[in-house]
Amino acid sequence: MIDAEGAEDATLRARLVQGVPVPAIRAFLDGTQRSQVIGWVGAFPLVYGTSAAVVRSRTERRLSTWDAPLVQHRVYVPLAYVLAHVARGDLERALGAMLEDTTRPALDGSIPAPHPTLLLERATLAVSRDRERLELALAERWCASRGEPIMIDGGIGASEAVAQSSCAVGVVKSHRTLYAEGDALAIVLALKKGERSSVIRVAPRGRSEVLSWYLRLRDAEGRDALWGLVRVEMCVRSRESISERADELSRWLLAESMPLAAPDPRWDRMAYGIRSAEEFLRATTN
Amino acid sequence: MTAPLGLVVATERTPNTPHQFQFWTAIDSPVGIGTIVRVDGRQPVDGHIPHAYGIVTEGFSYTDLASPLFDVLGHDGDPGQSAFAPTERAEVRLYSAAVLRHVPEEPLQPVPMGEVSLATEADVAIALRMDGYLRDDANTGIPIGLYRSGGMDSAIYLDAEFLVGPEAAHLNITGVSGLATKTSAVEWLMATLFAHFPKSKGSVAAVCFNVKGPDLCFLDQPAELEETDRAMYETLGVPCAPFQNVRYFAPFKADNVSLNTLRSNEELLGNVQPLTWGLKEVLQFAEVLLNRDDVDAKADALIDFIKERVLDREFEDRVLREKHRVRSFADLEGWFRDLLSGLEDQGSEHWRTHHVATIRKVRNRLSNISTRCAGLVTNDGHTSDLPWGDFADRAVYVVDVALAEEDAQDLIFARVVSKLREHLEKRDLGVSHVVVFVDELNKYAPADGPETYVRKMLLDIAERGRYLGLVLFSAQQFRSQVHRRVVGNAGTALYGRMDGDELATPGYAVLSAATRTKLATLSKGQLMVRHPHFTQPIFVSFPRPAVMRGRDGVERFPQAADVPRDVGVLRQLRRFDPSLTLAWVQDVIGLHEDEDVLRALHATLAHAPDNVGAYFKSQFRKIIRATPAPAPARTPLRVLPDDDPYAI
Ligand SMILES: Nc1ncnc2c1ncn2[C@@H]1O[C@H](COP(=O)(O)OP(=O)(O)O)[C@@H](O)[C@H]1O
Ligand SMILES: [Mg+2]
Repeated sequence: MIDAEGAEDATLRARLVQGVPVPAIRAFLDGTQRSQVIGWVGAFPLVYGTSAAVVRSRTERRLSTWDAPLVQHRVYVPLAYVLAHVARGDLERALGAMLEDTTRPALDGSIPAPHPTLLLERATLAVSRDRERLELALAERWCASRGEPIMIDGGIGASEAVAQSSCAVGVVKSHRTLYAEGDALAIVLALKKGERSSVIRVAPRGRSEVLSWYLRLRDAEGRDALWGLVRVEMCVRSRESISERADELSRWLLAESMPLAAPDPRWDRMAYGIRSAEEFLRATTN
Repeated sequence: MTAPLGLVVATERTPNTPHQFQFWTAIDSPVGIGTIVRVDGRQPVDGHIPHAYGIVTEGFSYTDLASPLFDVLGHDGDPGQSAFAPTERAEVRLYSAAVLRHVPEEPLQPVPMGEVSLATEADVAIALRMDGYLRDDANTGIPIGLYRSGGMDSAIYLDAEFLVGPEAAHLNITGVSGLATKTSAVEWLMATLFAHFPKSKGSVAAVCFNVKGPDLCFLDQPAELEETDRAMYETLGVPCAPFQNVRYFAPFKADNVSLNTLRSNEELLGNVQPLTWGLKEVLQFAEVLLNRDDVDAKADALIDFIKERVLDREFEDRVLREKHRVRSFADLEGWFRDLLSGLEDQGSEHWRTHHVATIRKVRNRLSNISTRCAGLVTNDGHTSDLPWGDFADRAVYVVDVALAEEDAQDLIFARVVSKLREHLEKRDLGVSHVVVFVDELNKYAPADGPETYVRKMLLDIAERGRYLGLVLFSAQQFRSQVHRRVVGNAGTALYGRMDGDELATPGYAVLSAATRTKLATLSKGQLMVRHPHFTQPIFVSFPRPAVMRGRDGVERFPQAADVPRDVGVLRQLRRFDPSLTLAWVQDVIGLHEDEDVLRALHATLAHAPDNVGAYFKSQFRKIIRATPAPAPARTPLRVLPDDDPYAI
């Protein structure tokens, strides 16, 4: 296992989620980001990035926007290299608070190399960090003020406060990092609809520790092994209550398999409420 | 200001135009097909915030589903599963609206983006351009009903200048029988017209042809109305009462004693009067009935000769045994008989320029008229007619032809309308405007079929009546079956519940599918209105007429049974003098021939003298029998083969 250890069972196994699906999630949180090159100074890119996050809360089966969505527009500039061509004052006057430096020195004082592609990647990464920040800011606000179950698209470990809140349920749809290998991975990939893996404890670098498990939302018969598979995250809690709570949250998520989030291509894993949040941001951030 | 109800949306694929726009609303908004809305633009044009007014003509709803298949998949193929879905799909309510008006009207631009709200009563007045004719100093508005939306009621007015002329005129109503409330709508319209016709425009009366059962037989009797109806009368300022001044006219039955109408109950006879015409009146309109037969130029010439030289004059000729003064059909028959036997005696085939065959044919045709129109055409020359020259303001004259034979109906239409026209032209009718109501228009002015005199006449009113103050209110089930120029000239068109097949005819293609659906499901008391000031058709509600329905009337006032001659005569005379008794009538008519009794009765009715009893009695003293009268016409219709020109 990678950065993970069993929290429920000594060795990972498949568990049938007990009980019937019940909808209990009160809100859905997601963020979006978009970036585009708006110009070059010499060989160096200026990137315009928009990041946004929203909570769609559910009342009587209808979704509506909670509080104010967060939207941020920035211009990402490799300042260290650009200043050779443009006066800092001019840049600051033109961009004001939108100016964001992508060449701030790391702890060891190093700055990224003057490679246009690399700098472009840095900018995209910066936009995505900003998006995550907005998401977490909203999530913290919800957990502090409402405290009701909220589904968050992605992990919850990036914020200490959210990672420790019992109302936050993180749902990870992409499996670039698999928290199982060998026999354990085989068990995860063989999960049937309504089954989950044992709960494990995960603590990736730079993130807070959370509890996590895999859950199969839909029948993957005849599909690829990741079809309908999500990884769930919740806050750390005492060992005795883990199984029951993991089943409870799994029931909530299984209840969200209707309506379909189609035509989003990830509809096998994506909750309709999350799609609604994305659609909202797509429609409102332009 | 009302709260915004929706927002205008336009995309490249569905852009706004100057005549159409789209908007979306909340799922639970009170918008529907026919709702009138106001758009407030955001950007000033020439320093003015533009407003547009529109009427909803189509509605759309859809969700974020790209294909129905996803919904099937999502429910695992089981519709019952939908109850478990914790979230409802996002759903759009999108409406398209047709523009009624832009303010300012220039420059004419596409409808701006902006907030959409329900039109208030003031907005409705602007949207329909009613502000132009509802001014305090010049109000020509005739309320036609209420437009209702979102709990708001707005009175809708027609412009009298466009309803009764001279700008435009005429009204036509169409829709299925029994549900479209056509007859009711016309009754209501006459009431509101009488209540609101502006004094400055002069006087107005109505002539209604009752063509079907008891439809219009009780216009002076009250109806049982509901509270909602009364409230509407109150709101629209129309007295909730039956017509105050109604007079009924009906021909006699074949017995020439009782009137041929369903309004024959003795309690109601006070304002029912016989409609009888003599030879002179009929000959003037002979062409109405003769043009269908094979009457050629030769026959025409003889009829003209009779009209000009024989009718109502001393007439002598060497072929004739005696002098004639022809005043009635009976006299005319005597004249023909004398003439034909004279020619026979002489063995002559010709008289003046006329061939004996033509003479026989004309005699046959004319005597046919008196047979076919028995009860309307008197043999004795007495005429009882509408009060030409003495029409009263706000009076209704009902001519009951419902039970009359087709020929008699045609003759009545032709003569009444022609007389109206003639008197309006000379401005001596007694009123300056007359509304003529004709139901079952598809029968009298059909789209196809032979040219008839009646249709020509209806066309003439439709095309020229507005200059004379002669206005046609007409109704029919299927507008598509009526002559185009008759309905086409109706400035105002009303539509009640419509039949699907009729809606599928090309005339309705301009309406949106949703509007057609609405028309096919309109409830009683709802109408779609087209009027020259309204850019688009509008839906209104109107109250039940404040007059007794025909079928209630015949129950409440059963028809008088057929009665013996003396009782029939008494019934007619009692209208004038209720003190007369059956014994008195029996004593007066004694053993006189039917013929003489009728002559006396008709003369009395025609003159309506002060002392009816004495006048009636005096008629019998005058009787000196000259020529033997022909047998009273009792023959059923068309007993003679129509295709035999020489039949007698
Ligand atoms: N405003 C109204 N609201 C509700 N019902 C009405 C209204 N006007 C008429 N009706 C009813 O509708 C029925 C049909 O009306 P009628 O005028 O005879 O229709 P049509 O002439 O189209 O056959 C009648 O029974 C009448 O009482
Ligand atoms: Mg009718």
